[in-house]
Amino acid sequence: MSVERFCGDSDVLMSYLYDEGDQATRQAFEAHLASCAACAREVDGLRGVRSGLAAWTPPETVLDFQIVRRPAAAPARRPAWFAIPALPVWAQFAAASLVVGVAVGISGLEVRYDASGMTVRAGWTKPAAVPVQVQAAADGKAVPAAAVPAPRQAGVQRAGSAAAADEAPWRAEFAALEQRVMQQARQQNGAGARQASLGAGPAMSDDAYLAKVRELISASESRQQRELAMRLTQVVRDFDTQRRGDLARVANGFGALEGRTGAAVAQQRELLNYLVRVSQTQK
Amino acid sequence: MTATDEELVARSIAGDTDSFNQLILRWERPIYALAYRQIGREDDARDVSQEAFLRAFRALPGFKGQAKFSSWLYRITLNLCRDWMRRERRAPFVQPPEGVDVADLVSAELSPTESMEDVIGRKDLGRHVAKAMSALPEEQRSAILLKEYHGLTFQEIAELQGCPLSTVKTRLYQGLTVLRRELERSGVKPALPAGGSS
Repeated sequence: MSVERFCGDSDVLMSYLYDEGDQATRQAFEAHLASCAACAREVDGLRGVRSGLAAWTPPETVLDFQIVRRPAAAPARRPAWFAIPALPVWAQFAAASLVVGVAVGISGLEVRYDASGMTVRAGWTKPAAVPVQVQAAADGKAVPAAAVPAPRQAGVQRAGSAAAADEAPWRAEFAALEQRVMQQARQQNGAGARQASLGAGPAMSDDAYLAKVRELISASESRQQRELAMRLTQVVRDFDTQRRGDLARVANGFGALEGRTGAAVAQQRELLNYLVRVSQTQK
Repeated sequence: MTATDEELVARSIAGDTDSFNQLILRWERPIYALAYRQIGREDDARDVSQEAFLRAFRALPGFKGQAKFSSWLYRITLNLCRDWMRRERRAPFVQPPEGVDVADLVSAELSPTESMEDVIGRKDLGRHVAKAMSALPEEQRSAILLKEYHGLTFQEIAELQGCPLSTVKTRLYQGLTVLRRELERSGVKPALPAGGSS
């Protein structure tokens, strides 16, 4: 390897100076330094600069940076009824049944099932223009359309004996519908289905029912306690973070204040330092 | 066991703010030192450091780990320093020489192996170095800072500066050569490290 090859090669010089890169090349350069005074002087000079760089230190300062999450924005105000906690499935179903029952009662709903299929008719619905065969519940014979009472008349008739005869299929249909809805709810919601069966289970005794309700209440209470503990922890953490931030700001403020008030004194100290330096030089 | 940067980054991305605060605690000093040596003002360096961490936190979901977290943080800091210097339209500012506090020297600065004269000499040298560094072009200054004070490899600096490795070495060589000339012009002759002479 020729000696001149390395002279002026800053790439090799930097690899050697920082002890990084191909080792064989660095060893060759080191051997070159023994015979090249110019390169040796340059290496010494740059090493001196590197040692001088160590003297430059940034001033000490309080940093203490922290990322602090602000609490989430308060949700938009909602109507009071919206704040009611979610009801269990069985309670929702009971409420829905009640609403449906009331609606049926008010509307005078009439449900029939015959050879032509299921017929649902509200009390205020006008009679259909086309004659419909309706099966009489009492004797099972078909009667002409003219015998079908008008909706208002039907309402009156339900109070009588004929209406009593019609109630049996209505209730049976409704019970079947209820059972189907219950079954679907059980399939869709595993845990919810268990609660739904609580409301619909005909074989459940009062004690078992009470035990179930107590169990639900207990589970709800423990969940609320967990949430409360979690929120309290969050509040304590936020408070602590805020306190630390405030303390750091106060410390910074004091530091700045000291810096300003000490500026006047600094000149006198500099003079004193000069005197110290001069006195040591004279020794 | 102390978590690695990569682990803390992963937890931070998952939403754990405390993990990111640990990263801040680990890197705030080096980042502040880099910002200070780049722009030369203590208060501005602190602001830039704070902004660097804030930007890193916001951009964390986009950090795919293709580089070291520290390198990524250095890059953000250097970009912010560049923005600061463009905005202020000035080169790095060299703070006026600080008055050496004799009481401080006795209490804190003066180590058992260092005399008062040594401490004063070191402070003087530091001021001259700061002044000489402020005269360097930004790329050379950044390369020297990252190499000398933060121990990055040539390759890491090349990736950070977006240039070939040979360019990094050239920048380092040119920067050190200018520093050497400036220091000699100022009458400062730094001592060679022990066993440094070849």
